[in-house]
Amino acid sequence: MAQADRRESMNDPARVAVTAAGVVSPLGFGLAETLESLQSARDCVSPVMRFSVTECRCKTAGQVSDARLLSSHAQVPRSGRLHRASHMMIEALQELLTQQPEFEPELAVVGTTSGGMSYGERYYRSLQRAGDLRHAATWIANYPAQKPVIDAQAAFGISAPCEVIANACASGTNAIGHAFECVRSGCYQRVLAGGYDAVSEMVFVGFDSLQASTPEKCRPFDQHRSGMVLGEGAAVLAMENLELARRRGAPVLAEIIGYGISTDNFHITQPEPSGSGPRQAMQRALESADISAADVDYINAHGTATLFNDTAEGRAISALFNRVPVSSTKSMMGHSLGAAGAIEAIVCLLALEHQFLPANINFSGLDDDLDLNIVANEARPAVVRTALSNSFGFGGTNASIVMRKFPPSPGLRRTGDA
Amino acid sequence: MSLAIAGMGWVTPLGTAIDLVWKRLIAGEEASATTISEEFACRSYTVFRVPESAHVAHARLRRASAISRFAAAAGLSALESGGLKIDATNAERVALIFAISNGGVIYTKRFYRDIVNTGAESASPLLFPETVFNAPASHLAAILGITGVTYTLVGDGAVGLAAVKMAQELMESEPLDYCLVVGTEEIDWLLCDAYRRWRLLRVAPPIEPYGKQNCGMILSEGAGAILLARDGRMLIECAHPGGYFSRRAEAEKLLKHILCDLAQTEIDFVISSANGTFIDVAESHALQRLLPNALVYTVKPALGESVGAAGLWQVILAAEALRRRELPPVLHADSKVPMRLSRSRTPIPDARHAIVLGCGLNQQAAGLRLVCD
Repeated sequence: MAQADRRESMNDPARVAVTAAGVVSPLGFGLAETLESLQSARDCVSPVMRFSVTECRCKTAGQVSDARLLSSHAQVPRSGRLHRASHMMIEALQELLTQQPEFEPELAVVGTTSGGMSYGERYYRSLQRAGDLRHAATWIANYPAQKPVIDAQAAFGISAPCEVIANACASGTNAIGHAFECVRSGCYQRVLAGGYDAVSEMVFVGFDSLQASTPEKCRPFDQHRSGMVLGEGAAVLAMENLELARRRGAPVLAEIIGYGISTDNFHITQPEPSGSGPRQAMQRALESADISAADVDYINAHGTATLFNDTAEGRAISALFNRVPVSSTKSMMGHSLGAAGAIEAIVCLLALEHQFLPANINFSGLDDDLDLNIVANEARPAVVRTALSNSFGFGGTNASIVMRKFPPSPGLRRTGDA
Repeated sequence: MSLAIAGMGWVTPLGTAIDLVWKRLIAGEEASATTISEEFACRSYTVFRVPESAHVAHARLRRASAISRFAAAAGLSALESGGLKIDATNAERVALIFAISNGGVIYTKRFYRDIVNTGAESASPLLFPETVFNAPASHLAAILGITGVTYTLVGDGAVGLAAVKMAQELMESEPLDYCLVVGTEEIDWLLCDAYRRWRLLRVAPPIEPYGKQNCGMILSEGAGAILLARDGRMLIECAHPGGYFSRRAEAEKLLKHILCDLAQTEIDFVISSANGTFIDVAESHALQRLLPNALVYTVKPALGESVGAAGLWQVILAAEALRRRELPPVLHADSKVPMRLSRSRTPIPDARHAIVLGCGLNQQAAGLRLVCD
């Protein structure tokens, strides 16, 4: 893009459309299954069988079925060697390209926290126990965090440069947010954005060692909440300059209208108790979207169900918003770390498209210290014009995005709206 | 959009001060090799390590791994050389981008070792947070008081240049005055063993760049940091996002594409990423085809392959070479290598434009062009 065009776009930022999406998560393979699980408020957390959890407090996670995942991509070269994370990314990208076969991204921005960690675990165990290392080269080759992004692109002949963001649990939302800024500023016209992560023993035990995960059900914002459960999955969004997308006749699923990021520097694993970091991220997202808090109809909370996160996030939400419906869909599928923000962006997309509020399941009653309007236990129909999604991570990294139904409903138009 | 380099800092196996390391490179020195071993294995490896004296001390880094200490030292040095103080008035207008490849591998291994040896109940809640990719970035953000944009990018040896590209994207879209880009890496036996199994590591120095045999590299560690601003004399004129190659044989094609885009103006020299592996063949073919007259330099025979830190070291070297109007000698290159290498200390009095080329071992490549006004 010419410098002059870019300067013009900085003064008159481009609108950013989501023209296609793909997802695989414990809620299901693809948008249709995900919608069905969300609308029926299904608990998709199950016992962990992939590795031993006998010494862990927590025994469950939201998991993607291997039987289905690994059989889906037999046509992909060397498919048997790829990490499950690559298979998840391939599955998600395949769905996106089915909707938009002509989507050719100029850049891929994807979030993750642990890449092909389970291959690293196998390699270390085999080394240490003098085990079979015949497949070591394959494990090592498929361990790097960028590999699933490259594998997914290569499977479909796409060759965009990759920016792999590893901002802990905020990675997925950061990836979508950065992609949004890139298209809005005119740096790029088409960006593939998303996130992925696969459950691994090391990460599972890590959260267990912090006593952040729970042996019980995941109950975000509940008075009896006792911690998180892990999840896994992948989600991708085709993000484009809205005007150009419409010109070529691409369907617009939703608009991304705002992004906010903050770093609170309080503690490497805990949020600042008053919620100043999350509040700042949400406020910046609203300012970026040029809307007020009253314009938001639904918040998909980070809502991990840990004592600290939910208190800080709940305080931040009630400080900024007035009884807006809130749910954490992690209650249904667990916390998929680097994928979470991307999967939850798709949850918001579905809520905007199908006009409902996804549920916060396993909910018995609100924490006495919080003042929130929780969408308790069942999804319900609602007018959802604008949704905000939060993701926060280790290291005090906080990110929020704002999405809007397209075409925008009357009463929520900004200057320049069509 | 051009970005200016306002400050630089690094931690290398040859030292930490920019001037000192530059003088040692100009004198043809290389880092001292040390041996790294592992309790359960009989094989040991040769590496270039950062001396203990280079580790920065800070209360926030009390439990942090070497990777975070290197990054903090390089980042603080870049801010100091750029004369930037971060306080409540500008904390939101400074972004921090980290480039990392293998991350905190020492603590990751230690954490997992405990799980393997004695079970999940012995896993350390103190170690786990330090295994997360963005731990070094969060430490430096806390030390500096940065409250806005902080990103950690993960990739291979090209990730440092990808981080500079990301900084350019951020400066175009966010109300920022500065962006601090830090690349960092630490060495562990496990990494050496992994690269050996990939046939990319050699038993002992020297690294012989552009050789026909591709005898392999020596791993090193450290950090590099550049403070990017909107105005200045040393400009990153164009940062190329590069791309990925599916097979090693395709790296040359991607590098040609990057060079073709960057060589729109006369290029005086190229800081290449040659490290004694397949990368060298790909780079030398691409350079001979597209920039046969440009002088070429690689620092990896002197400092080793530092992966996540490598790209930032290369940018710093390019900026120093443009500023000082000379290039250090490429060490251990065969005299028959058919390229215009900087074989001895080479004056470049009229040099204005340089390309930094980054080709990684895990399928990524990127590049950028500097100009000294």
